[in-house]
Amino acid sequence: MTPRVRLVPEPRSPRLVRREMRDRTELLTEAVGALPPVYGERWLHVGERAYRQFEPGRSKLSAGLVRGWTGPLPAPGESWLYLGAASGTTASHVADLLGPEGRLYAVERSPRPFARLLALAERWPNLLPVLADARAPRGYAAWVGPALGLYADVAQPDQVAIVRTNAELFLEGAGAPVVLALKTASMGRERDPAGHLEAATRELASFVDLVPSVRLDPFHRGHFLLGGRLRGGAGGPPRSLRPVTRAARPRARRRS
Amino acid sequence: MATAVVVARLGELYLVGPDGRARSFPRAASRELPAAALPAGLERELRTLPGEVALVADEPGRAEAISAVLGRRLGLATDETLRSARRALPRVARTAERAAVLAHARATLERVLASPEEVLISLAREEERFERAVGREQRAAEAFLAPEQTSLREYAAAWAAVRASLERHHERLRDRLAEQARRVVPNLAALVGERVAARLVAGAGGVEALGRMRGARIQLLGSRRRPSPERGPRFGVLYRADRMEDVPPDRRGAYARSLAALAAIAARADATTRADLSPRLVARRDRRVEQLRARRP
Ligand SMILES: C[S@@+](CC[C@H](N)C(=O)[O-])C[C@H]1O[C@@H](n2cnc3c(N)ncnc32)[C@H](O)[C@@H]1O
Repeated sequence: MTPRVRLVPEPRSPRLVRREMRDRTELLTEAVGALPPVYGERWLHVGERAYRQFEPGRSKLSAGLVRGWTGPLPAPGESWLYLGAASGTTASHVADLLGPEGRLYAVERSPRPFARLLALAERWPNLLPVLADARAPRGYAAWVGPALGLYADVAQPDQVAIVRTNAELFLEGAGAPVVLALKTASMGRERDPAGHLEAATRELASFVDLVPSVRLDPFHRGHFLLGGRLRGGAGGPPRSLRPVTRAARPRARRRS
Repeated sequence: MATAVVVARLGELYLVGPDGRARSFPRAASRELPAAALPAGLERELRTLPGEVALVADEPGRAEAISAVLGRRLGLATDETLRSARRALPRVARTAERAAVLAHARATLERVLASPEEVLISLAREEERFERAVGREQRAAEAFLAPEQTSLREYAAAWAAVRASLERHHERLRDRLAEQARRVVPNLAALVGERVAARLVAGAGGVEALGRMRGARIQLLGSRRRPSPERGPRFGVLYRADRMEDVPPDRRGAYARSLAALAAIAARADATTRADLSPRLVARRDRRVEQLRARRP
């Protein structure tokens, strides 16, 4: 007999479950890979299924959920693009949410974390790692298939611009989910976190219909989760939102 | 206007014609596209395209490489054109996609890690780790007491031999590191010393990143926390730079600041022009050391 564990699936993403404990609620994701743990997280086995603890202190997406994120989430069977996957802590959970039929294209620029991401991908069947600079999506488009949603956590001053160039190239049409973990500390000292949030929100709002952003304090100081759904007609944002010098832009952006 | 698009997807090249149909041209062994590796079939196909069909590619490098072969200017596909061309590509089976992406990831990682800069970063981290381990071992050994008449004596002698061999290894590691630093960041290495130069590169995550930093950032590289009024100043790896010892302790903050400014210049040169600025930078550094010494009350 299995021990009585009550797991409540999240309606937006059923492979994400909540476990009500006496004094708190735990988040877990249903694993698409097998043990050992990816980064030391606890595993819970219920019948045939394995769940991995998704701790807000370790992942900005988890912190966002705890803080009441109402925006879109990766769901089973979808393909998502993840920018700034590092060694795969959060990416492994996003892959869990996408399930065995989904795919996660995970872009990371820095070779050492990428080495660990690659080792993870070898045993995480829906994780597809790409070693590349997210600022130059043309350089890795050959390795990324059609994507429904975009999650970004690159911690760069131009993070919203990075999201935009990738969304324009890879996402298919209006309504595509876009989620951005914003690190205000990487955006310079001219503004305080609230100022950075406001600027990023304004910039993102020019091509995404935003849901209310959430602060990730105290789990991640000075971080926010923001995003919503891509605006515009089929095939990307409407023309009116695009810079006039479109053809020249991708080239100019390349800073290799 | 009718447009034909050259698109890469996984290991293959595709031509998506004005009719919106995709034809695939398997690439030669190399996954990258040197101009010469343009598949013969594709080249033939491109040459027969009528002149009024606009020809574009998915990526600037590819557009250029194909232009060179064809003697006809290829443009860069707009996002919209590229998205619709990609929609025309055949769906790839899951297992085939996975195998191709993983193989590509292994190959690119291997190539990146083999670059002189990444080798320098690996050596810098390794040396730092090793230095810490040997230091810990040294302190522990000093606390270990082994009286003459006991078997502990023999044990201590054996350990001393192991330690000597570790130290020889450390020395070789430092030599390699120094050589690599002189090759990758010659100006910086001359200014602050090879080991510190290597740690700065590792701390910044690369020569290019370091070359873009200002002095104030460089001064803090390698320090574990931000400066704070309560907990005093912080010391980055720059505090272990050459000639720091020659400066009176209460002037070292000032020296670190000047040195960081010079290091920013050196790193920028190493990242961009690669001009040899070292004689001038070293002269400025040494003048600063003398100044700080002279102002001693
Ligand atoms: C805050 S970490 C991501 C942590 C990770 N998302 C997680 O929660 O497990 C940011 C990562 O973005 C990567 N990054 C920064 N700039 C990038 C770029 N231009 N392209 C790709 N990755 C980038 C960094 O190397 C770093 O690993």
